[in-house]
Amino acid sequence: MRRLRIALAGNANVGKSVLFNSLTGLQQHIGNWSGKTVEKAEGGLFFKGTEIDIIDLPGIYSLSAFSLEELISRDYIAKEKPDVVVNVVDASVLERNLYFTLQLIELGRPIVIAINMVDIARARGVEINVEKLAEALNVPVVPIIAIEGKGITTLMEKAMAASRQKGNAPSLPYGKNIENAIREISKDVEGQDFGYPPRWVALKLLEEDENITEMVGERNPKIIEKARKELQKIGKSCGQPGSVVVSSERYAMAERIARASMNIKKAGMPFSQKLDSFLLHRIFGYVFLAIVAASVFLSIFSFGDFASSHLLGFLSSLKAGMLPYSGEGPLQELLLDGVMEGIIAGISIALPYLVPFYIFLAILEDSGYLARMAFLMDGIMHRIGLHGKAFIPMILAYGCNVPACLSCRILETQKDRLLASFVVTLVPCAAVTVVIMGLVATYVGLEWALALYLLNLLVILVLGRIAFKALPGEPVGLIMEMPAYKMPMLKNVLMEAWKELRSFVFMAFPIIAVSTFLIKLAEVLGWLGPISDVISPITVGWLNLPTVVGIALIFGILRKELALIMLASLLGAEAFNTVLTPVQMMTFAIVMMFYVPCAATIAALKKEHGWKTALGISVFEIVFAIFLGGLAARLLGLFFV
Amino acid sequence: MQKRSPETEEYLEMLVRYARDGRQPKVKDLAKDLGISPASISEMLGKLSAKGYVRYEPYGEIRLTEKGEKVGRSVLRKHHLIERFLTLAGIRKERIHKEACILEHAISDDVEHGFRKAVRVLEKRGMQTKDIMRLVDLTKGEEAEILLLEGGGNVRRRLMDMGLTPGTKINVTRSSARMGPVEISVRSSTLAIGRGIAEKIFVKVRR
Repeated sequence: MRRLRIALAGNANVGKSVLFNSLTGLQQHIGNWSGKTVEKAEGGLFFKGTEIDIIDLPGIYSLSAFSLEELISRDYIAKEKPDVVVNVVDASVLERNLYFTLQLIELGRPIVIAINMVDIARARGVEINVEKLAEALNVPVVPIIAIEGKGITTLMEKAMAASRQKGNAPSLPYGKNIENAIREISKDVEGQDFGYPPRWVALKLLEEDENITEMVGERNPKIIEKARKELQKIGKSCGQPGSVVVSSERYAMAERIARASMNIKKAGMPFSQKLDSFLLHRIFGYVFLAIVAASVFLSIFSFGDFASSHLLGFLSSLKAGMLPYSGEGPLQELLLDGVMEGIIAGISIALPYLVPFYIFLAILEDSGYLARMAFLMDGIMHRIGLHGKAFIPMILAYGCNVPACLSCRILETQKDRLLASFVVTLVPCAAVTVVIMGLVATYVGLEWALALYLLNLLVILVLGRIAFKALPGEPVGLIMEMPAYKMPMLKNVLMEAWKELRSFVFMAFPIIAVSTFLIKLAEVLGWLGPISDVISPITVGWLNLPTVVGIALIFGILRKELALIMLASLLGAEAFNTVLTPVQMMTFAIVMMFYVPCAATIAALKKEHGWKTALGISVFEIVFAIFLGGLAARLLGLFFV
Repeated sequence: MQKRSPETEEYLEMLVRYARDGRQPKVKDLAKDLGISPASISEMLGKLSAKGYVRYEPYGEIRLTEKGEKVGRSVLRKHHLIERFLTLAGIRKERIHKEACILEHAISDDVEHGFRKAVRVLEKRGMQTKDIMRLVDLTKGEEAEILLLEGGGNVRRRLMDMGLTPGTKINVTRSSARMGPVEISVRSSTLAIGRGIAEKIFVKVRR
């Protein structure tokens, strides 16, 4: 039987994932593009006796080398050659969407255009003439309303028909200057197989695409030389840099086609704009933002706290129930207290917070408010070298660093993501708050606990700035589309949340289980004592803490809030002020606050940035925390005599 | 170049203006136009006569020599050029003449040549520099046309991909004077652009 491969491509915010979800249902597989940290969503469906694989390409605005997502998308289309590319287009923003469509056509695969959200466009006074558009582009065009499932059957029929066609519609011609240059360069490109259409390679050379220029230059520097000359010619005759001319002309084409295939009626001020005059207001906007952030925050934590304690109780009793049957011995202890305990921790501590978090995130994103949050916070976030969107991971991190790390993906460039992930791991999560409150606020004083939070903000500010300067790559400020407000649909929200949650579970749980096992193993083998002796020069010599505290610090790698319970049992006292001096308590809290993110966070870092970065950040933070702790131990001595 | 006092140049320029308008220069009129007492005018004319710029006998006719006319014409030409330049630079009309009277004595002939070329280019494009602004300086409701994107290749690429190619019409839908991004409407989409980037986007304001 024939098996068809269809790729979904399009701008962000066009409802591509909605279409993907309604096409594939739960038949989805979410992974990463091989060797890359970009998510790859695949799914399948049966349509009229044909098995169809759907690949949801990332939402992008162009096929340049701006981001990893763009590179992956263009390489997939050119090299993996899907049978059909379905280009999802937002009917209300036809012109900019067509700019991307024109680039897709240049990649030379059969294309079907799905004009989505025609109902919303109609409400805004925009009616699209499908026949005219299809004629101008020479590709099939299907109007759809993905969220209601309308037009999807026709879309799939057209896609299947397109897959039977040989070849694709020819690219639309540019102006004379550029066409001449393309012809000249194509001559030299044609003989060599670069894996992309020759005309496309020539165009990318004219656009001064870094990636393609490098690829061609390695094999044949003469072509680059030629392209440079052609660019100079274009620049001279058009009075603009050659690469600008290509984009300008492509947009001019998109504009012409969009105008010819649209009927625009005058409509009143769009609903989104009316709403924005309140939600983005200089004062009310921030008040509303604070209310939204606080209520999201509170509901996540109150639900998380509630579900967490119940799950923990339930699972622990389950484990206890297994005890009589398993018998006792070192192996049982390893499996039950090690692996089992780790999985229980994962389920009862991470999931109760993650589930509501992902649901809220999907609602915020689908409704369009997420972009408004970023807009409002942009000015403030710039002080640490990040832009508005990074506000979302930051606020999440106060709850749990893991989803915060994962949500750094909403930023565009690798530099922004890395910087945000780093900053996020420095934020004290709920577990660290337990330590600070239970130790410092209770026994030293609330003002000192608050001072620690201030210190934390200061450190984030300073380290964030340094990292911003030190990390390679140019800073890309905020360039963000403000999508129209939409009513989030429950089904889509749940599916998006489920997608994220599932990938988290597969990523983090094995690591949590293994690390609990290892620590348990060390305990069973009686290594904890010797290990704390080995690190005693640090704990005792530099940090001025009792030797046994080393064990609590090691346990903190797993679950930071457990460190306090460990500390109590190790020191043999619940009242910490009888065994630790105020300076020692503060030192311990500072080290806990900054040192290595917990195992699950390291796993999240690994997922997003690879092992090297995850280890780099962990090692840095251990060293930094110990350094700062020792410094604090000495300086704080001046306050507490 | 021979050193002349601004005063000398100002007299010669005024005499060229008289000649151009077909007026016979008289001490009384000159005193009024230059805002100086008739006695000082006579004294200055004596000095100019001694230097060979004018022919002048007390109570007689005042005439420019060839040398004087050349200097006067050059100063007047610079005056007109500077007036055009100041207009482009968006200086208010009532100040232009006075400012030009000061600047005209300060620029050398080759600087004049460079200015002339620049003024021609700007005038040909039909724009005044007061119309060329950074996106960040526009206020809500203003319409503009993208002129030029400064800055790194990646940012420029991204902006163009989002539709901000030179010549594109935009509309500022939200902007605050001090903080936060600028929101614009472009090609029927709405974009938020951070201040740092909005500082590097130059636009021509449509009025």
